[in-house]
Amino acid sequence: MTPQASRLLAHDNLHDAGLSRRFGNRFLLIGLAALAVGLGLGIADGDELRHFFHAYLVGYAFVLSVALGGMFFVLIQHLTNAHWSVTVRRLAEFTIVSLPWVGVLGLPLLYPLFTDAGLEEHGGLLWPWIQPLGEDAALVTKKVGWLNPGFFAVRMLGYFAVWGFMGTYFVRKSLQQDLTDSYEPTLKAKKWSALGMIVFALSLTAAAFDLLMSLDPAWFSTIFGVYFFSGSLIAIFSWLILTALFMQRTGRLQHAITVDHYHDLGKFLFAFVFFWGYIAFSQYMLIWYANIPEETLWFAHRQTEAWMPVSWLLVVGHFIIPFAALLSRHTKRRVMVLGFWAAYMLVMHWVDLYWLVMPALDSQALHFGLCDVATSVGIVGLYVAGLCRIAGDRPLIPVNDPLLAECLAFKNV
Amino acid sequence: MASPAGAHDLPEAIRPPNLIQGGEDFSSITNTVARVAEYKPPRGWYIAFGVSVSILGMLLVMLGYLFWEGIGIWGNNQPVAWGWPIVNFVFWVGIGHAGTLISAVLFLFRQQWRTSINRFAEAMTIFAVMCAGLFPAIHVGRPWLAYWLFPIPNQMSMWPNFRSPLLWDVFAVSTYATVSALFWFMGMIPDLATLRDRATKKLPRLLYGIFALGWTGSNRAWHRYERAYLLLAALATPLVLSVHSVVSFDFAVAQLPGWHTTIFPPYFVAGAIFSGFAMVITLMVPARQFFGLKNLVTMRHLENMCKVIMATSMMVGYAYAAEFFIAWYSGNQYEGFVFVNRALGNYAWAYWTMVTCNVILPQIFWFKKMRTNLVVMFIIAAFVNVGMWFERFVITVTSSSRDFLPSSWHYFTPTLFDALVFLGSFGLFFTFFLLFCRFLPTVAMAEVKLVLPEAHPGHRHHGEEGE
Amino acid sequence: MTADARLYGVLAEFDNVDDLVDAAKQVREAGYTRFDAHTPFPVHGLDDAMGVRPTILPWIVLAAGLVGLSSGFLMQWWMNDVDYSYAISGKPMFGLPGAVPVAYELTILLASFGAFVGMLALNNLPKWFHPLFRVERFSRATSDRFYLVIEGRDPNFGPRTSDWLGGLGCTALEAVPMPDEPEGLPRPLKGLAWVMTSLALLPVAMIANARFSESSTPQIHLVGNMDFQEKYKAQQTSQLFADGRAMRPDSAGTVARGELDISSPQVTGRNADGSYVAGFPVAVDAGLMARGRERFDIYCATCHGLNGKGDSVVSRRALALQEQGKAAWTPPTDLTSQVVLDQPPGQIFETITLGKNNMPSYAQQLRPRDRWAIALYMEALQSAQAAPSEDE
Repeated sequence: MTPQASRLLAHDNLHDAGLSRRFGNRFLLIGLAALAVGLGLGIADGDELRHFFHAYLVGYAFVLSVALGGMFFVLIQHLTNAHWSVTVRRLAEFTIVSLPWVGVLGLPLLYPLFTDAGLEEHGGLLWPWIQPLGEDAALVTKKVGWLNPGFFAVRMLGYFAVWGFMGTYFVRKSLQQDLTDSYEPTLKAKKWSALGMIVFALSLTAAAFDLLMSLDPAWFSTIFGVYFFSGSLIAIFSWLILTALFMQRTGRLQHAITVDHYHDLGKFLFAFVFFWGYIAFSQYMLIWYANIPEETLWFAHRQTEAWMPVSWLLVVGHFIIPFAALLSRHTKRRVMVLGFWAAYMLVMHWVDLYWLVMPALDSQALHFGLCDVATSVGIVGLYVAGLCRIAGDRPLIPVNDPLLAECLAFKNV
Repeated sequence: MASPAGAHDLPEAIRPPNLIQGGEDFSSITNTVARVAEYKPPRGWYIAFGVSVSILGMLLVMLGYLFWEGIGIWGNNQPVAWGWPIVNFVFWVGIGHAGTLISAVLFLFRQQWRTSINRFAEAMTIFAVMCAGLFPAIHVGRPWLAYWLFPIPNQMSMWPNFRSPLLWDVFAVSTYATVSALFWFMGMIPDLATLRDRATKKLPRLLYGIFALGWTGSNRAWHRYERAYLLLAALATPLVLSVHSVVSFDFAVAQLPGWHTTIFPPYFVAGAIFSGFAMVITLMVPARQFFGLKNLVTMRHLENMCKVIMATSMMVGYAYAAEFFIAWYSGNQYEGFVFVNRALGNYAWAYWTMVTCNVILPQIFWFKKMRTNLVVMFIIAAFVNVGMWFERFVITVTSSSRDFLPSSWHYFTPTLFDALVFLGSFGLFFTFFLLFCRFLPTVAMAEVKLVLPEAHPGHRHHGEEGE
Repeated sequence: MTADARLYGVLAEFDNVDDLVDAAKQVREAGYTRFDAHTPFPVHGLDDAMGVRPTILPWIVLAAGLVGLSSGFLMQWWMNDVDYSYAISGKPMFGLPGAVPVAYELTILLASFGAFVGMLALNNLPKWFHPLFRVERFSRATSDRFYLVIEGRDPNFGPRTSDWLGGLGCTALEAVPMPDEPEGLPRPLKGLAWVMTSLALLPVAMIANARFSESSTPQIHLVGNMDFQEKYKAQQTSQLFADGRAMRPDSAGTVARGELDISSPQVTGRNADGSYVAGFPVAVDAGLMARGRERFDIYCATCHGLNGKGDSVVSRRALALQEQGKAAWTPPTDLTSQVVLDQPPGQIFETITLGKNNMPSYAQQLRPRDRWAIALYMEALQSAQAAPSEDE
């Protein structure tokens, strides 16, 4: 760190060890309690935990999208040599360093793969291709080489091996940079970020196909990976705005993150709200227009009497309203206002995932209840607890990053 | 952006680049750029212009023949009703995407290396869109009635069918042409004023004066100008996304396997940027040589463009892979057939040309040595241009030549007319392009000056502090 | 009022941006309002120094964009749903997803016009002449020098303004006179503009004239081979056919669209008073009987059995399933039973036409003559079944 930078950041509590001690356990308790409530309500539903596991997948996809969004953020900053983002990059690194922990959180999802519950009636407790049933059986049987519990589990393992390795690698390089004056670690990270991006793109796509698209095994859409990706970006930028706000409200990073950084985060949030709208529209438009039964069915399940309001909620609430709200420069430069919209977008992103998953449970009715909310809160709580523990007392910004000085001087014109 | 002290000790890979080289200052930038328009061009220009105009003349003859004889002279026929005209249309529109991408998207991302090449790329965009617009117009049944595509009140009391993606194309491409031209012209106003103020002869002074619109460089005007430029950039960015997306709708709303797939919009956009950057390199490498712009368009600029080419090449590769996987995963035998047929059928040669040029060859840019070698990048860019033409050919022709009904299967063969009109469109493109190089400011002088450190107040103070 | 009417203002030249920004700040702090800086590129920080207020341009762009968006949707809705609606490829007359692309493009188009035209209008451009153009050194304002000008009509402008400005670090100072008469466009150019405008109006005038006048001269045929195609028209002669007529007569039995009589007993099986036709309204011969047998074996025998008694393989299998409790089955009617024997042919015909109970309508599969043929064959079946067995 240059002398100017250390002077500027003297009171920013960069090495605040309190994070894991004070928040880790709290979130762990919240997470476990909420998950217990969710599970209890799930058992009370008396549907062999079908509802619970769908709700679990929603929460899990949410956490995963934040972590993978963080991965993209870190990779792209290295790739493009960005200097504006240096002081928020560590916050993104925290979201990915815990990817192995996200893998552990995914272990309960193995149960629906290997249980007999729900097999007779639905073809599987969560993913209905375990035993192809009904009109689609012939079609789904053709995919059995890809969609079978064993290979699925191996793939999940593979994704997390790759992500865990990548997350650990890039964060380790960043942490090594904290301790040395040579720029070797940053150069290394930059060098591998291009290859990392390719691996990331392919693994994210495959994971989105597996976890979410295969809930309707007869349905397929080539853009689905990009759709999940666009949601992940909304998640990570909202997440970064909120965590930065949280840090500043609790007396950290006062000078490291300025309104100009928020402005840029806000711009990206706006851009990806638009990008999500573009991808969602492309997918809907093409399927609506061509009107091929095997494709339209997926949307038909989301346009039933019960689900149509949710679909409209996404159009209006996930696209039109935030688009209009974030259009203005003033929204992006007023930190608390931006914080509100970031929180709002996280909720909307959750609704989006809910809309992707839940019609697979029942397309004719909306079983929204405490079980859904508690389960998601539980998973997010556990994720944050793990994040706090792993992030621990690491510095809150890359204190020795070569571009730190540039970032601190950054002005948004 | 002014670099704070200390930035200079950084390793080259992460240091904010020195975008302008050779110790240029404000007046030397003006001189370097304005000289191109003020003095007689090198002899090579006359030769190139002569060739281009001849090819353009050939195009006009071909169009006359088309009007006289009718559209039966195209190679299009059932089942390949969309042959070269559409392939060429998509090819040129795609090339047109780099300009606005460089000027708008990179502007929003504060990628300052764009300033040296954006004018050039924007000009390329406009001429490419002109070529693109030509093809749909001349392949309709009665080309002289192509204006029916626009909703003009008429005595037949008929309106166009807005539910057709082809009409969306009309709106997308004409909006794109208009907005790109506005953006290009607006960016040029201050530079035209520079040429006006430097002009010594009466006629150039008059003409530049008219198009400079009376620009005085007033700061109150600059304030609104910059805001307008930012707004236009913010508008042009979603426009770039939409134009090639709409072009992809032409194919993707149909039910034909190989055309109907949801990844088409972003895939087409990535491909468009890919081909556009390749064309920029194809033109930029010789142009900076001829017109002495090496200090302004540096190796760093070219290297960055190579990186963009590699990135978009990978995106295109991703789309190829996603299509193949989903074709199998869909369990739909028609989808599966189309893709197996592409790779192994009687158009396999076209398919593998496409894959080689678009996905395999650009991988060479992983090596910095190759990214900074003018010859290599010129050759690869040329291959990418070829590959992207073949991509559109593969999409258009393979799917429709093997449709649902085997009895109508047919091997598509273009006519000589197809080839000559395509060649002729290059004449159109290069004629305009060479005129642009000769008479207009090829580099955005005002913007390039803004990249120099001394363009920012406080530069001097920083310098003192650092010493 | 100290403003100097004969003076446009005083112009100070700077060779770097720092001095310019400092000077601008001082000019502003000294209370001047009518002053401006002229620079070859936008100098960041100068806006603050000069106190330039944010422009309203974004609002203009937003308004133009909204106009584009709404007019885009309205145009498509009105043109394709209201004024000229026709169904095509099963799409709604006005479907929101399909209307988005055009409305979207128009939004961007109009917003861009708003940005461009708005910027020019707010900047008072285009302008042919500016008093500063008379100053020779000012030509460097678009290249490498920076200028600050305080206008003569500024209320604070006084005799000492010039000296004061000169003390702000400039490299040159010059008073700019107000030109006696502003320089207009060169005469030839003006003339050319007039000619071009008039020429541009010509086609419009011609179209308007053609639209509202009548003419007795025939149309000009620009494209002969489309207007005069090589094809036969009605009433022409042709060598192709023996009768020498290009227009071909209708095939035998053709019924013109809408002229099919569907109320005759042949088609309904009923007489005009509603009673069933008792006989056969078609010519009865061995051919009809053979046809009836063939059709019966194809369409009826699957359920009613080849002998008409209703014990077909299908029926027997279904009854067996019913006994195992796996299906519910109503056996087909025995066509040789008394109930059927009592029915006149017209009623049989109607049953085939409309269906009855479980039996669907066979109107699509069997033309009226075939239905009569089946009714005839059924009579033969009935009498065959009624005949005493030789064994008895």
